Amino acid sequence: MKKIKRVTIKLADLIAPIIGSRDLVDSLEKSVSKSKAYLVKLDFKNIKFVSRSAAHALLIMKEDFLRKAPSSKKDISFVNVNEDIETMLRTVAANRALPKKKEIEFEPKKIDINSLAACKI
Amino acid sequence: MRKVIVAKPQNNSLVAQLVSLYSTLKNSRGGEVLEFDLSKIDWAFPLLILPLSAYISVTKSAYQADGNVQSYLNAIKFPDGINSVSAFQKGIQLQKNYIPISVLLKDKGSDRERLESLFSSMIHEVLDSVPGTSNAVYYPITELVTNIFEHSKQKRGYIFGQFYPKKNYLDICIADQGRGFATTYKQELGLDISDSEAIVKVMKGKSTKPSKERGYGVRTSKRVVCEVMNGEFVILSGSSALVSAKTSERLVSLPSFSWQGVIVAYRIPKPEKAIDISRYLE
Repeated sequence: MKKIKRVTIKLADLIAPIIGSRDLVDSLEKSVSKSKAYLVKLDFKNIKFVSRSAAHALLIMKEDFLRKAPSSKKDISFVNVNEDIETMLRTVAANRALPKKKEIEFEPKKIDINSLAACKI
Repeated sequence: MRKVIVAKPQNNSLVAQLVSLYSTLKNSRGGEVLEFDLSKIDWAFPLLILPLSAYISVTKSAYQADGNVQSYLNAIKFPDGINSVSAFQKGIQLQKNYIPISVLLKDKGSDRERLESLFSSMIHEVLDSVPGTSNAVYYPITELVTNIFEHSKQKRGYIFGQFYPKKNYLDICIADQGRGFATTYKQELGLDISDSEAIVKVMKGKSTKPSKERGYGVRTSKRVVCEVMNGEFVILSGSSALVSAKTSERLVSLPSFSWQGVIVAYRIPKPEKAIDISRYLE
C-alpha cells in the first residue's frame, strides 16, 4: 500500500505569532506548493491571533488546493488552533458560505475642520 | 525650505490633535520639502508625530525641537523609526516606557510580520489587560496594516503607539503615503468620487476587490475601537477625515490640506472589564 505523504508547517516559525497580512498567506501558499506531501497540517501552536483578512486568505488557500489537479492537489488541515482563532475562522467561513447582502447604512454628520475645532471636546 | 510651526493642540483630545496636524500641513504642496518647528509643543502625540515621520521620510524634510520633546523624539526614534525586530528590542531595552516608531517594509515579508507582532504584543502588554483585550488590540492593528500593503501601492507603512499611564489611555496611529482611498476607487473600479465619498464607501464596506466577503477590515476596526473599547477613531485620506466615537460620526472636510495616503489614529481607554469582540466579527 502506498504511504500518503504528510507534512506539518509551524506557522509561528514560518510567519509570526500574529498573522495579519494576506501577502504572508501568499508566501505560505508557495511553501505548501513546494511540499511533496498530500496531507499538509498547518500548526497554529504559539499563534496568538489571526486577522480576518488572513483567515479569509487561509480558507481560500485551503479550498484552492483541494480543487487543483491530482498532481498538485493537497488536503490542508488546521491544528492546534486556539479558541479565538477558531471563532475567527468559523465566522469568516460562515460569511464565505453565505455573504451578507444588506447594504450598510452610514450617514455621518458633515462638518468642516474649523467648526470641529470650535466644538467643545 | 519653508518653515512650518507645529501648532500646540488646544487640549489632549484626539480631535485637538487632528486640528494640530491640519494646521501643520495645510497649504503644503504635495512633496514640498519643509522644516518643521516643534518648539511650540510641549508634548508629541502619535497622530501628529507619525504622519510627520512619514512625511519627513518621503520628502527629506527637516525638523527642530528642544527640551523634553526632543528627548522624547530621540526615545521613539523620530523621524526614521526602526524597521527590524532586533532594533525594536534594542529600543525598548533602552527606553522601557516608549515604543519606537516602527516602519513596516512590505518586501521584508515574515520579518515585517514579526515586527508587527512584536509591536502589537507590546501594546497589549502595556495595557496590562483584562480577558479579551488582546483580540481587541490585535484586530484593528492587523487589519489596518494589511490594508496598507493590499491597497496603497506603497511598500512602506508606519505604526506607532503610546500609552499614557496617568491618563489611562492608549493612542495608536497607523499611516501610509500611498494612493489614498479616492484614487484607489478610481484606479480599481473607475469610480470618480471625492475623498469624503471614498471614506463613506470604505465605512460601508465597499471593497475594491470583486469578492463580497471583503471590505470589513476598516469598518469592524472602527466598531471594535468605538463600540467595544469605548474609544475614539479618526481616519483621514486626502482632504477628508472621519471622526468617530461610540455615539457620533462626523465627516470632516479639510480645506487646503491633502494627505497623500491614509492616516488612522485611535484612542482606547484602558479596559476595566472583560471584552468580547466576537459578536462584531463578520
